[in-house]
Amino acid sequence: MNFEDFKKAVIAAAEKLGVTEYELYYSGGEDVSASAFRGEINQFGSAVDGGVCLRCVHAGKLGYASTENLSAGEAESLVRRAMSNAETMESDEAAVFVPGGQTYEAHETADFALPEPSELVKTALEIQEMLRREDGAVTENSRSAAAAGTSTVAIFNSRGLDVSFTAKNAMIMAMPIVTDGTEMVNAYEVDRGDFSKLDREKVVKKSVENAKAKLGGGVPKTGAVPIVFSPDAMGAILATFASSFSSEMAQKGLSALAGKEGEVVAAPCVTLCDDPFYKDSPMPVPFDAEGSPAHKKNIIENGKLLTLLYNLQTAAKAGRETTGNAAKSGYASKIGVQPFTMYIVPGEFSEEELLRKAGEGVYINMVGGLHAGANPISGDFSLQSGGFLIEGGRKTAPVKSFTVAGNFFGLLKGITAVGANIELAEARGITNYASPSVLVEGLTVAGK
Amino acid sequence: MIPVEVCRRVLAKAVSTGADYAEIFAENTLNHSIEMVGGKVDAINDNVIAGAGIRVYKGLRSVSATTVDTTEAGLLRCAAAAASALGEGKAEIEIVLNERLFGDIHPVRVVPSGVENRTKADILRSACCAAMEYSDKVRQVTGTFLDVDHNILIASTDGIYAQDRQIRTRLMVNAVAEINGETQTGACRPGRRMGLEMFDFIDPVKVGVHAARQAVTMAGAGYCPAGVMPVAIENGFGGVIFHEACGHSLEASSVAYGASQFAGKLGQTIANPKVTAIDDGTIPGAWGSINIDDEGTPAQRKVLIEKGVLKTYMIDKFNGRRMGMASTGSSRRQSYAFTPTSRMTNTYIAAGEDRNEDIIASIEYGLYAKEMGGGSVNPVTGEFNFAVNEGYMIRNGRICEPVRGASLVGKGSDVIQKIDMVGTDMDMGQGMCGSSSGSIPTNVGQPLIRVSSITVGGR
Repeated sequence: MNFEDFKKAVIAAAEKLGVTEYELYYSGGEDVSASAFRGEINQFGSAVDGGVCLRCVHAGKLGYASTENLSAGEAESLVRRAMSNAETMESDEAAVFVPGGQTYEAHETADFALPEPSELVKTALEIQEMLRREDGAVTENSRSAAAAGTSTVAIFNSRGLDVSFTAKNAMIMAMPIVTDGTEMVNAYEVDRGDFSKLDREKVVKKSVENAKAKLGGGVPKTGAVPIVFSPDAMGAILATFASSFSSEMAQKGLSALAGKEGEVVAAPCVTLCDDPFYKDSPMPVPFDAEGSPAHKKNIIENGKLLTLLYNLQTAAKAGRETTGNAAKSGYASKIGVQPFTMYIVPGEFSEEELLRKAGEGVYINMVGGLHAGANPISGDFSLQSGGFLIEGGRKTAPVKSFTVAGNFFGLLKGITAVGANIELAEARGITNYASPSVLVEGLTVAGK
Repeated sequence: MIPVEVCRRVLAKAVSTGADYAEIFAENTLNHSIEMVGGKVDAINDNVIAGAGIRVYKGLRSVSATTVDTTEAGLLRCAAAAASALGEGKAEIEIVLNERLFGDIHPVRVVPSGVENRTKADILRSACCAAMEYSDKVRQVTGTFLDVDHNILIASTDGIYAQDRQIRTRLMVNAVAEINGETQTGACRPGRRMGLEMFDFIDPVKVGVHAARQAVTMAGAGYCPAGVMPVAIENGFGGVIFHEACGHSLEASSVAYGASQFAGKLGQTIANPKVTAIDDGTIPGAWGSINIDDEGTPAQRKVLIEKGVLKTYMIDKFNGRRMGMASTGSSRRQSYAFTPTSRMTNTYIAAGEDRNEDIIASIEYGLYAKEMGGGSVNPVTGEFNFAVNEGYMIRNGRICEPVRGASLVGKGSDVIQKIDMVGTDMDMGQGMCGSSSGSIPTNVGQPLIRVSSITVGGR
């Protein structure tokens, strides 16, 4: 059955079992994708998914249970499991459900006709052919893909809240592998949004250009040098340490920013913003995972930490208002705290100007192993990196197989200039990260 | 789950447009976890994953479709969608299904989904409390008790109709310690393809103490210096070096597409002669073990590299077609919602003959990586990274002060040539490996090894 029917089944089951305070959270979607290899569609997929999370109050505690099996029989089992889980809960988490009748900011969202599967197939094949024609260095092992679909989130609770939001998305991707005869390197480029406006030319040119630029890379010298991070690299670093800005982590003693609201935590040129309606967000939901209205806010303004991010739970504990940042990492996960689209507000400098200011240093446009080489609690990081040397104020030879190491909280204070060029670096759905290029002092490169 | 008769009709629909192979993968999984913060149960996650994925192949083309509706009508709709995406041909194969019973080489004595929350919370509590009580430097402890009851059914036009029940249990403790304003973390995360009998030989108190000891040691440590140096990597999770530097590049998902540093190198010497590496999905009760893979092929033990020579890749049926090679029982997927591909199971460098004390004594100035964190790799270039969670400097052949914040980077094809000493005491560590077919449990392992020179990312 669909979510609407399953909702009715849960309402009936809750009534039968004497549960009066509860909330259902649904997320799901449909997705069609085609990927091409050697002039053929090697893989075509169509997926339908969706799951429901029930939160309910039982024995004075909040219990969770989730399922993908939306059937009449499962509705009662879901309520029973949530009740049983509530009995074991020990945290002093109060049950707070948002009442109905909230006012949400109205924003225009992308509305376009989803492409037919045959159009996805054609597009993936076309990009494949464009890659082949783009440059003699592109190997036959290069891949391309096109996909489109819809995603929906919905929240229903016993206090009259009943909201839902659906977004359409499409994307194309080029993944060239290039060679100079001795070495093989790869890159990829994605474009997202309204399918009819996706720029094939751009993803092909940019991905091939990026891949070719990596050929013949050396290893930089070990030492402390100025670093310019590209939007992609800085966005990935922001994503890794974003939990520091969560009041939940702060309250659990897992954030170095606990108790620092009102203090200077970054250089004066740094303003960090969270915007649910960021122009390139693939899922600009007007409410958070508890149903509170979503809105734009500055987290850091000119270096000063204005606020952490809160949900109802953590706000109640801190004796303040929620910032509307309740979030779930998947439909089944516990309500936590996350930004919508978090980004460093662009500054006034072009990337060329940042390179000139750096003089001699390293330009980093790839950081890897963030799940392992970075510790969001201590802020320490040591990350595999790739990029270019900066010599005489310009990008020169490619470099790879080195690390950049430092501490995130030191990095925020070590930003000496912010670029004007913002890009969405990590597109994950509701939660995303964007950044301009930034110039940072005080980090160490380990190479040769 | 789904009767054989229904599977036959659904497969017939799936091949109705000319596919030469079709497969149904259906699952019903209960994921359960209890999280503890500061000694209190903070969250209980309890999730039923249920659905089916249908795949059809024709030559080197494949179509996959997934559905959450596993009634016969729902499956037939899903099969029809896959068939119509494949093309316009007509049915060319006949469906004959035989039930296969592969037996269970990983018997479970105490099924976790039948154990009440309190019992699991008590195990978790004893681990978390042990961590908290280890030292007054420990500032916070979080822990998770995780159990998974993963029931799968595979029916394919190869004639396979098989089911497997994959149960696993894991205890994870993270400790945060603070010394003079410096905060560091420590972790311990043992897991088995077992039920609660896992705790007959894994003491939760030791798990907690391990995490706390590491956090306190690291909070008192200085930064690791940067540079190129010899590194001794300890057994257990240290095996992540092979997993990242080499393992991923031996998966058919990269090799079949020529997107691997090791494509076309079968029979060649790719590693130091000291290196013999094995992927073994049949180790009873091990975290990465399976009875059958997600295409219904029984688990195998494969020698990937023997004394430096590349012997085989890890292969699934679909990518095997492109390579002209048979499946090695390596097809895995996180759930029905992912398209399966070749993945690792329990992958390790086999024990060698060097004594541990000789390995340490051989290093004049270098790093002893006692415990590794996770890592990642680009299989095309072989460039990898991984984190050192607990490291110590080695000077004049002796282990000295602890150092923090180190990571190791390099190129896989280069680093496996440089593994020039291999110890005798192989042990394995548990991880979740993420790739295109999702997040799956895998073991990594090795004895103590020496890498003669590698880039250490420090400050």
